[in-house]
Amino acid sequence: MIGKYKLELITGIVLIAFIAIFLYVSAGGSHEFRGSDDAGSQKIAELTGHPVESFTPLIPQYVPPSGEIESTLFALQASFGGLVLGLVFGYWLGQRKTSSAT
Amino acid sequence: MHIMEGFLPWQWCFVWWLVALPFLIMGILELRAMMRKDREYLPLLGVCGAFIFILSALKLPSVTGSCSHPTGTGLSTMCFGVFITSIVGAIVLLFQALLLAHGGLSTMGANMVSMAIGGPVAGYAVYRLLKDTKVNIYVTVFLVTAVADLVTYVITSFELALAYPAQTGGILASFEAFFAIFAITQVPLAIVEGCVLALVFKYIVTLKPEILIKLNVFSEDQIARARQQDSEVLSSEGRS
Repeated sequence: MIGKYKLELITGIVLIAFIAIFLYVSAGGSHEFRGSDDAGSQKIAELTGHPVESFTPLIPQYVPPSGEIESTLFALQASFGGLVLGLVFGYWLGQRKTSSAT
Repeated sequence: MHIMEGFLPWQWCFVWWLVALPFLIMGILELRAMMRKDREYLPLLGVCGAFIFILSALKLPSVTGSCSHPTGTGLSTMCFGVFITSIVGAIVLLFQALLLAHGGLSTMGANMVSMAIGGPVAGYAVYRLLKDTKVNIYVTVFLVTAVADLVTYVITSFELALAYPAQTGGILASFEAFFAIFAITQVPLAIVEGCVLALVFKYIVTLKPEILIKLNVFSEDQIARARQQDSEVLSSEGRS
């Protein structure tokens, strides 16, 4: 019984551990959980001695006007992936059902 | 792992674009050849691409108190190789550069070299090393994915260290600094990603083993053995 769901079980445990670690770290209170990309940019500013604002795009780019818009676009990206995923697994499942019926 | 637009001197942008281009060209050629030969692979390519889309949109918190995202390139690397994976990764990076201001067009070369090329190359090396051994195929998937994820961030640290050597200690010192920001954050995320993709791989093995055998991702024996382990799942599904 446990044998066939071993992988699910391991993944579940890892996920729970991951969440637990997050809760533990965030309970510390001193972390803002900002993006590591921004932390990287800040490190560059530190190393070069120029402030972050002085780095201007080489190629002009669109910047989402707010965090809301940005999260919408990220959600769009993820939901597109989820859509394709569901479609293909559904297609395969359907294929298997029909081929076993005949 | 995105290097933000403007944060890389143009010389380095140029270098990394130059490194990335051959991979993209090979990827397009391979993709065209595959489409012409057999469209049966397209759904699997869809699944692999979908995971890169989903996982690279998820910014997860980590032990270091900052957030980062997994890459999801391991699955595609195993099924379709490095070149096709580089195309899928490039599409995601282009989307993020154009609409999200995550990375930019000038730094996209460097970002492709880390996420769409370097990570997959490392993952592919692990895959080749373990493929024909007795190692459980799900363990292989886990390792390939986790390594592809981690190495992506190591390469980003390296790219930044090359462009911004520290005044004292030079490239090595600044590599350590960037490594601490990017790679350490990534360790727990890589483990989670490895588990999740191994689980997904199990479902592909259950539903569509023939496509994996045809692509020679794993041998028929290995797939058969994995299916036997999961066979109880199949029979219980049939009963319900």
